Amino acid sequence: MSDSYQKQDAKRIAMDKAVKVLSFTMLILMATTFLLPMYWMITGSFKLQSVTMAVPPEIFPTQPTLENWQRLFFGPWPIWRWVVNSISVSLLTVVLVLIVSTLTGYGFAKKKFPGSNTLFFFLLSTMFLPSQVMLIPLFLLVRALHLTATIPGTYFAMALPMISSPFGIFLIKQFAASIPDELLDAAKIDGASEWQTFSLIILPLLKPAIAALSIFTFNQAWNYFMWHMVVATDKFQYTIPVGVSYISRTPAVGKMITDIGLTMAGGTFGAFFMIALFIAFQNYFIKGITFGAVKG
Amino acid sequence: MTKLQVLLSDIKKGWIGYLFIAPGYFAFIDFMLIPIVFAISLSFYKSSFNISAREFVGFSQYVILSKDAVFKTALFNTINYALVIVPSTVFIALVIALLIDPLGPKAQSFFRGAFYIPGVAGGVVLSVVYLWIFNPVYGLLNYVLGLFGIDPILWLAEAPHSFQAVAAVVLTFTIGQPIILILAGLAGISQDIIDAATVDGASDLQKNIYIRLPLLKPVLLFVLATQTIQVFQLWEVIYMVTGGGPYNTSTSLVYLIYQTAFISANYGKASAIGVVLMLIIMVFTVIQLRFWNEKDA
Repeated sequence: MSDSYQKQDAKRIAMDKAVKVLSFTMLILMATTFLLPMYWMITGSFKLQSVTMAVPPEIFPTQPTLENWQRLFFGPWPIWRWVVNSISVSLLTVVLVLIVSTLTGYGFAKKKFPGSNTLFFFLLSTMFLPSQVMLIPLFLLVRALHLTATIPGTYFAMALPMISSPFGIFLIKQFAASIPDELLDAAKIDGASEWQTFSLIILPLLKPAIAALSIFTFNQAWNYFMWHMVVATDKFQYTIPVGVSYISRTPAVGKMITDIGLTMAGGTFGAFFMIALFIAFQNYFIKGITFGAVKG
Repeated sequence: MTKLQVLLSDIKKGWIGYLFIAPGYFAFIDFMLIPIVFAISLSFYKSSFNISAREFVGFSQYVILSKDAVFKTALFNTINYALVIVPSTVFIALVIALLIDPLGPKAQSFFRGAFYIPGVAGGVVLSVVYLWIFNPVYGLLNYVLGLFGIDPILWLAEAPHSFQAVAAVVLTFTIGQPIILILAGLAGISQDIIDAATVDGASDLQKNIYIRLPLLKPVLLFVLATQTIQVFQLWEVIYMVTGGGPYNTSTSLVYLIYQTAFISANYGKASAIGVVLMLIIMVFTVIQLRFWNEKDA
């Protein structure tokens, strides 16, 4: 009797092991498939134009070249300017979103005033509206105010559609609601002003939410391709995605075909910054995604 | 005191609250509400580059749209993209998340990162690589398919394939977020329930189908909703990879808005398309919320 149980157990353990190995192999295969384009882009940036068009394709670059990177760095493209533009626009967006979200989110979470629920739900109801609808009026506004005439104006224009962030307000409100009221009462009794309570007590407690929201917003602002392209009036105002798209449309020297090697170098260069940031702050990226959904 | 007096004194007492929400509401009204209202009003005008010379035309932009073949294709495609991309994304993300979930913390964070990185790199970067991969002559995809004896396919120049190509690119860079959300949902399932099932002799597959899946329903619905809205706003991949072609077979509503507004400067018509898109998303969101509440009850 016990013998047959043992046999069954052994069979089961063997099965479990097989399933584990199989599922791990599947996972590796899938990850490889999803990461393959990144690999192809990075290795492609080290291939000569003739190699990029070779049939069959060269899976590992056998004669790596720095030619594409040289042309990217010393070509007619102000790529470092694009980096500065992208970082400035994203940082400005983060700062503005943080100011708006922390104050408003805290106000909705902890202050009692008539109409607060209605005002909050009205704001929240616009969270899922397609942003493209408001881009036309905002574009007309940017044009009418000649915002792109100056560099700070251009950065502000590029940050404009993201400043009012229902998501950010929602996230901070959810987080601030979990701060115990006793803490606020104690601060009041100790004679702290509203501003002192907010800046010295609330803000430090909101740190995890602020960090997650910052990273999330930075990434979104960085990749707001359509709006950057519409706003930018010359190539010195481009951000990285616009620049990468611009480079990808540059034909190879003396030919009517895309300069693949150069485009891959541009793409790798463009992807580098966000990927480096992601690897450094992976946990905050993930919190930014899960806070809103799981807590909400 | 009358009701009005009570309300007024409440408002006075709550002044600090209004002060706190003021910056947010100021930004919301100025940079979101007014633009949206303006866009809706713009859809009743005929306007070109010089916006101050616009001419009121009532509903005629919408009448024009209802007879516009390109608009109809874009509308059909947008819905079709959602029907193709969203269920496959959610299904694949679910499978991947279930495969990642039993691993140790280090391996989990590695795989989570691996699937999220394409999304961080952004649609533009991914699109430029895919343009090369999809090349019919020297592209990687046709080469790999050739190894399995499949004839070269004109991915970007032939009707159903350009649509498939766009869908594939979108799937690869939007899958990270659903995986992370589903993993968070899985982590929230109490180990006791799983252990109880193990004791009762449930296999891994049975545990996934009968225990984890029903418990994941709220997360899956959330993912479904956010992915659908994201796909409805599909644009950059189309701009980069197919340009909406061939013959508008891969275009979408947002790509059409972009072309109509920012290439043709036909702001009235573009706003009308925007309003249609907004209505679709609103109807969809309401249906989702209904569904959500029913499941909760």
